[in-house]
Amino acid sequence: MLNEILSFINENFQTLFMISVFPGLSFVLGFVIFAVWYQRKYLARLMIRMGPVHCGRRLGWLQLIADALKLITKELIFPKAANKPLFIFASIMLPVIPAAMIALIPFAPGLVIYNASGVSLLIFFAISTLFPVVSVIRGWAANNKFTIIGAFRNIYLDIAGEIPVFLASIGVMIWAGTYDLNEIVIQQSGMWFVIPQFLGFIVFFIGFLAMIEKVPFDIPTAETELIYGPNTEYTGAMFLNMMEADYVNVLAWTLLMITLYFGGYNGPRIFPDPIINGIFWMITKLLIAITIIFTIMISYARLRIDQAVRMGWNYLLPLSILNILLTLILKYIMFGGV
Amino acid sequence: MSARIRGYSPFTEIEEVGDGLFRLNMGPQHPISGQGRFIVLTDGERVFDIEMDIGYSHRGIEKILEYKTFVQGIVPVERMVMLDTSNILMGYVGAVEKVLGIEPPPRANYIRTIVMEINRILSHLYALGLLSESAAWNPAVFLWTTADREPFLDLLEMLTGARWSYSFFVPGGVRADIPRGFVERLRKTLDWFEKRIEVYEEAWIYNELFRMRTEGMGVVSRQQAIEWGLAGPNLRASGVPYDTRKNEPYAAYGELDFKIVTHNAGDSYARGWARVEEMKVSVDIIRQALDNMPEGPVKTRMPPRPKPGEAFFRVETGRGEMNVYIVSDGKEKPYRVKISPASFRNFFAIEMLPKTQEILLADVPVLIYSFDPWFLDADR
Repeated sequence: MLNEILSFINENFQTLFMISVFPGLSFVLGFVIFAVWYQRKYLARLMIRMGPVHCGRRLGWLQLIADALKLITKELIFPKAANKPLFIFASIMLPVIPAAMIALIPFAPGLVIYNASGVSLLIFFAISTLFPVVSVIRGWAANNKFTIIGAFRNIYLDIAGEIPVFLASIGVMIWAGTYDLNEIVIQQSGMWFVIPQFLGFIVFFIGFLAMIEKVPFDIPTAETELIYGPNTEYTGAMFLNMMEADYVNVLAWTLLMITLYFGGYNGPRIFPDPIINGIFWMITKLLIAITIIFTIMISYARLRIDQAVRMGWNYLLPLSILNILLTLILKYIMFGGV
Repeated sequence: MSARIRGYSPFTEIEEVGDGLFRLNMGPQHPISGQGRFIVLTDGERVFDIEMDIGYSHRGIEKILEYKTFVQGIVPVERMVMLDTSNILMGYVGAVEKVLGIEPPPRANYIRTIVMEINRILSHLYALGLLSESAAWNPAVFLWTTADREPFLDLLEMLTGARWSYSFFVPGGVRADIPRGFVERLRKTLDWFEKRIEVYEEAWIYNELFRMRTEGMGVVSRQQAIEWGLAGPNLRASGVPYDTRKNEPYAAYGELDFKIVTHNAGDSYARGWARVEEMKVSVDIIRQALDNMPEGPVKTRMPPRPKPGEAFFRVETGRGEMNVYIVSDGKEKPYRVKISPASFRNFFAIEMLPKTQEILLADVPVLIYSFDPWFLDADR
């Protein structure tokens, strides 16, 4: 038995390493801890204050670990009216969905957890559609007015944001002529797709902000009126899961944006090893992207749900269809065929 | 008709009030509620009624004043609005001076004007920060305004000895004259603050998304503003040029030249805008008061007992006109003090607005904070 396990590990060492360390579980959890710390410190500087300073010297890097430990050891409180199995199910399921999306992203040549034989972009979107479903389950299971309002806002917002995002990435698919994320990255070694797909990128970016539910689209968890939206009733470790789901979602969508429009792991050769070079450029681009997201978070007000939905259907959807037409015409002119 | 969801609990009961409406309880423990409660009748997004539940911080200040001498009464009165203490105190001290039949010396009037206008700036900065925070849970502007209050608080500490609740005005004048170096420092701070106002306008007041959230929302027409008895910047944002500082001048306002800020839109944006413009006017008033400051004493003697009689005094606080009515029976304590604060009248508009126009649930916090509510002021 032991021998069988050992030989299984030996045979599949690379895959198991990718699932458990990089770009799998450890990387995702490490990113969540880093992103929360970075957000708190960076936003604090913009707000003329210090951010956490007590745990871990002045940088406050231990604060997040202390917070996580505190939340894990806290009592789990279930509302009397809640549907307990669904309530727990949603809190476990929610961070898993965006984490599964990350398995399809290539981090370096050959470094991708699940090689989906040519249809990885479609699978990415297929998994992403589960997120609002589980989000509604969490709001409904808590059986609270605030959570239910938040859950339904989540549906409105995701439908308004998802369709423009899909259609904008169809522009990339047409331009590259493939559904495969690996192939899309390889084709960008000369020129990033943000240049031929600029209109598509703008549509994608606005829809992307709606998908990750950050300002100006943090409508489901609108703290001023809904306290914490669908997450209001969660406590302790389940609350931690919800926070994690939020940041893993940001990570998954940001990685997709980098892969589709900013050349993925492509970049000037700094390290001799192509794998380390790819990982370096991927993480550098990720840091720049989340800095931009956090800066947007502090500069704008939140839209109302009707304004956000109107933006999605009235402006983003026609623009994304126009982008597909322009891509077809441009490709026909430049390459003489589609 | 009431349909209940399985697993009934008194705290999470979802009770339908006909046509799929239900009541949402915002407060007293809610991110935006403050020391009050808003019971919102909603179908999930549209709001049909807002019911105000105030009185959580009622301290009986009017009754307390009956057991204090006129000078002792200064401290409880200040507690009505800690942000805006000198404007609130001016109402009480002005009424007491009328009862006692004394006049403060002119230099005291000018010092009072300066302190009151600094207080108005502090109050409006806080209101602006809260308005920005209510439009998005984005405390950046709130923290900027909080940080920008510091230089003014330091100045007030230099002048009065305390940052908040300085009890600086007494019947018959002010407690102390201006210290050395104060005027230069105040002028320098005002120059710096004018630049900061431009930053707020760039970052927030002219911000496209902020305008999308506030423009055309919560419109109070000129007629409604008068009927509902709105006060202060909220009234002036609806196009009514009424300012107690101009219409019934007290302190040194009669001798200074300043304009009344009005806006014709009457929406939430206009109310925020009016506060920014009023801060500019306050800077102007402080500069004029510093230029025209007369020499002389800052305090007159106060008689121990008043003659029996009554006095009425109105004052423009940061949140609008406050009225103070004092009845004296000739003893050293007042027989009755009646205070009519501005916030109480502003709350009435929050209740009335959803009945006259369409308000969405996301608009409720912006609507409330555009009126700059202060529950402690309304509760007394």
